[in-house]
Amino acid sequence: MNANASIPSTGPKPLMNPYLAGVLLGLVLLASFLILGVGLGASAGIARVGAWLQSWVMPQHVADSAYFGAWGQDPLRYYLVFMFVGTLLGGLFSAVTGRRIQPQLERGPTASRSRRITLALAGGILAGFASRVASGCTSGQALTGGAMLVTGSLLFLIAMFAGGYAVAWFVRRQWQ
Amino acid sequence: MITTFFGQDALGGNAAFVVSLLIGFGFGFALEQAGFGSSRRLAGIFYFRDMTVLRVMFTAMVTAMLGLQLALLLGFVGAEQIYFLPTIYGAQIVGGLLFGAGFVLSSWCPGTAAVGLASGRLDALIFLGGAALGSILFNEFYGVVAPLASWGDSGVKFVWAALGISAPGFALMFSGVAVAAFWGAEWIEKRIAGAGPFLGSPFLKAFSVTILGAALAVALLPPGTSLPIAAPAESALLKGMEAGVDHIDPDELADRLMAGDPGLLLVDMRTPAEFSSFHIRGAVNVAAGDLPDFLGPYKNRGTIVLYSNGMTHPAQARDALARLGFTNAYLLTDGLQGFMQQVLKPGSLRSEPLTDSHAARIKAWRTFFLSGLPPPAARTAAIQPGAGPRLVETDWLQQNIGRDDVRIIDLRPQPSYNRGHIPGSVRMDPEHFRGVVGGVSSMLLPVDMIARHLGLLGITPQTTVILIPTENLHDATLVAIALERGGHLRYAILNGGWEQWTFEKRPVDTRLPFIPSKNYPVASGADDFTVDYRTVLAHSQRRTAVLLDVRPTDFFSGKESDEGRAGHIPGAINRPFTADVSTSNAITRFKPLGDLAEAYAKLIPSTDSSVVVSCRTGHQASQTYFVLRHLLGYRQVSWYDGGWAEWSSRPELPVESGLADGPLPVRTAGEIESERRETDKARPNPSPVRPPAPAIHAARTEGSSAHSSAATCQTDQLLAAKHGTHGASDDRPCDLPNGGVRGTGAHDRWIGQTSRGAL
Repeated sequence: MNANASIPSTGPKPLMNPYLAGVLLGLVLLASFLILGVGLGASAGIARVGAWLQSWVMPQHVADSAYFGAWGQDPLRYYLVFMFVGTLLGGLFSAVTGRRIQPQLERGPTASRSRRITLALAGGILAGFASRVASGCTSGQALTGGAMLVTGSLLFLIAMFAGGYAVAWFVRRQWQ
Repeated sequence: MITTFFGQDALGGNAAFVVSLLIGFGFGFALEQAGFGSSRRLAGIFYFRDMTVLRVMFTAMVTAMLGLQLALLLGFVGAEQIYFLPTIYGAQIVGGLLFGAGFVLSSWCPGTAAVGLASGRLDALIFLGGAALGSILFNEFYGVVAPLASWGDSGVKFVWAALGISAPGFALMFSGVAVAAFWGAEWIEKRIAGAGPFLGSPFLKAFSVTILGAALAVALLPPGTSLPIAAPAESALLKGMEAGVDHIDPDELADRLMAGDPGLLLVDMRTPAEFSSFHIRGAVNVAAGDLPDFLGPYKNRGTIVLYSNGMTHPAQARDALARLGFTNAYLLTDGLQGFMQQVLKPGSLRSEPLTDSHAARIKAWRTFFLSGLPPPAARTAAIQPGAGPRLVETDWLQQNIGRDDVRIIDLRPQPSYNRGHIPGSVRMDPEHFRGVVGGVSSMLLPVDMIARHLGLLGITPQTTVILIPTENLHDATLVAIALERGGHLRYAILNGGWEQWTFEKRPVDTRLPFIPSKNYPVASGADDFTVDYRTVLAHSQRRTAVLLDVRPTDFFSGKESDEGRAGHIPGAINRPFTADVSTSNAITRFKPLGDLAEAYAKLIPSTDSSVVVSCRTGHQASQTYFVLRHLLGYRQVSWYDGGWAEWSSRPELPVESGLADGPLPVRTAGEIESERRETDKARPNPSPVRPPAPAIHAARTEGSSAHSSAATCQTDQLLAAKHGTHGASDDRPCDLPNGGVRGTGAHDRWIGQTSRGAL
């Protein structure tokens, strides 16, 4: 999109205007509402992949567990798993065509690799856990439920930013 | 009108998976285009140096919000076609706080990390691994965190409703806030990071005006606008009205209520005063204004039937509900008045000639609806699983799979169960509840053993047990009667059983369920329905109950026999248990209630008559017990567990064979008492008190009569001791010098009485 002839063909192409990207995202969400009858979601796909991975190691334990067990023998047969795969592919398509694939551990100029890895892992665990508590993440709760004007999802959105800003100062050095 | 995958319950199908993949592709594409393949950019919002997250997220929300409101307003899509997320206050607030912390630590969230991974970011991969691990931890600690995940569950709650404004009104407000936030974000980004590329730009001005204009347009659409697209909904409503599909007839309603249909919610819209003076059994009283709130949970689940005295108010309410997206609200034809005329009016007062079957139905209805008993359970029990013994439909079961308080018991053979069963169901052999008691085999186990069994099955008194029969419905009713002995009435039998389930291609599993053992309290005294041979003998001799032998007719008549003696209990009548079920497409069900009510009305004088059901071992009779007691509302049904296996093996008990002409007259307790007094008075006079009993065609089998009288006397004395008050008269036959000189056949039954007369 917005291909600009003045940009050298080897460097990354510019991003879309963020407001227009937002409109595009909103239209994708609207399409999801009107075709699937449900909104977008990402964390459920990850959780199901987690359940699937765990069941390779301990199948009986997963099958017997109260939360994962309810997903049945094949937790991957779920629309949000397919949506997650689609998200990866869509992102890949956009990144490839925009020449924005940059293999790297993204961190602040002075931040150590180990700090970034630790925080990414800790944040991932926390976000994965929290998204199961709240039955959704930024996409499944904040974006989807917010657009539906659901009270709890808007509270999730507010709480999410409150939690983020409360902790941001303590981990600022990973971006410095 | 759009039908969504959710609306068709097709989200689990391959088509939905393909569509999800495509929508996911669009999602990923948009996120990457926004620059969310970079954690640094995502983190920017928390340090006010890059507010892209705010720009993208708020724009997306406003776009989808306005689009959705417009689609709903124009009737382009019905609200029932969309899955609205529930509000769970505690879970969403605590989850949101934790999630926000995780977001800022990692600078990723699940959707953006997928795009980050696609862009080659190693930290995105680490985040995704962590998130999978966090999900696994949630599962591992589910026992502890489950209360948090459902803390403050309030169902679907809309913020606009809480604020008392319309949805488009709130969307307009939200759009205003979003535009202000855009300008604020540009400004703060400029101050902190020297960026803010759109501050004051013509683009942002135009964009802001576009958003506010669109929001204003949506908000200004008059509610209920009849745009062309909306017309089909209204015309469908009118067509439905014309075809009468929005009505339910009183007959049908009565039958479904009697059957304990779990998917039926009957709503009485009259005033509380009218309701408390009379209402249809099982109805809930809801004022018109409270209907949308009250019925919310039942929207498009089961059948909602509205009634008032007439039809005007329910019809208006039904239309309003239809506009709110309810497709399952019905009117009772002619309201309460119609119900009175068609269901409750006694047959004798009806002008039209009645067929026998219709008269029997009316009788059954009147018994059920005018019994003055409280409905089986309060309020919405009709849709809740807590209601007492009944049948449930496959739809209900599928919706309730996985609930901790529902235990599904599969009664098929082990190999069939292993090949596939209803998810979460446990296999049980009905014979597990039987054993040798008092030297008699195949007897239902004592209550303490049943309680222990229930505990092992993970059942508590709050559990709703669902029994899955095969073609042998009596397997389910045998377990049911064991449950009843254990004092457990929260059970239901799956209508159509396993065959119906697989016929409808519902989910099947091969794994064992996880069933933690529980302690089930021993409910001594819950069993007030099992009777032993002494009681049956007393009934047989005194004709105080209808003795219903449910074995196949050839066994009843004595033509065939698996026992030491052939035939049946003197005075018993035959109604094979197989006559109560029918099978089509390999699916076995109980016959329609009307047919059953009619058939039994011919055999049993009233629903208050005392009835004893028996067969060979109590197995088949458990089915007739269920039919009479729970489907047809007979109140005094007893079950003779020992059955013919026991009776025929006690040589002291009398036996009869052949086929009776029809039911024998049954006396009430009052009649017996007055008869006894008369007999006492009339003692010097040897005339018989009662007319002779109907003849029995075949002579009774001989061979035991020589010593049977003494034993019968013993039995009677035992009975007399048990029922102290009647002792004086009951033991009299034993003193008779001619007790052992019995006539043939039929008269055996009347020995006590005729002897008494002879005195």
